[in-house]
Amino acid sequence: MNLFRSEEHVLRWLDGREPGATLSATKLSELAHAWWSDRLDTDWQPHVRDQNQAILTSLGLTDDFWQLP
Amino acid sequence: MDERDVAVRNVTYHLFVDRGRAPTNADVATAAGASADEIRASWRRLHDAHAIVLHPGTSELRMANPFSAVASAFRVHAGGRSWYANCAWDAFGICAALHVDGRIETVCADCDEAIECEIRAARPSDESLLFHCLVPASAWWDDIVFT
Repeated sequence: MNLFRSEEHVLRWLDGREPGATLSATKLSELAHAWWSDRLDTDWQPHVRDQNQAILTSLGLTDDFWQLP
Repeated sequence: MDERDVAVRNVTYHLFVDRGRAPTNADVATAAGASADEIRASWRRLHDAHAIVLHPGTSELRMANPFSAVASAFRVHAGGRSWYANCAWDAFGICAALHVDGRIETVCADCDEAIECEIRAARPSDESLLFHCLVPASAWWDDIVFT
């Protein structure tokens, strides 16, 4: 899970491998804040699978790539 | 993983944040008023539940996501302190977990050119940057270090 200067850099780094998913830094920040914001809460409880899937769905990450097991 | 494990997990995280580095099981034992053996057993249950990650075959902390116990290509500065993150997602996640603005230092994974990105009010200063996730969500925990 890396950062890149541009799409050109992503494609060069892939070097023929099948691509995963590319997001803008803005979308990544939205995802990170939705995913991690409760991590240091004193009443933190483990996320269940459906909670995490709902976070992905709320950000429009709904294709097969983003389907949790 | 039970409520006591969650309490051990919370102590682990707060020591990690306060110190800017991973605590040992002895550190957590002292802070939690438990034995090191109890902490090791609790960490193993937390590892099995994907709440933390231990180094393979050891009882040493590797990840308390989004924080990394080992030096990585993702350094996050916030509130006068610094931590390593496990990946780009986690680098943004450290600011999210702390609920503060911060600065991420990393490199483009392709060309190694330095990248500095400020996070202010949950938004990146450089919106032209791209994030690539190679492993599909269904396989993230098959090898979380690679992911």
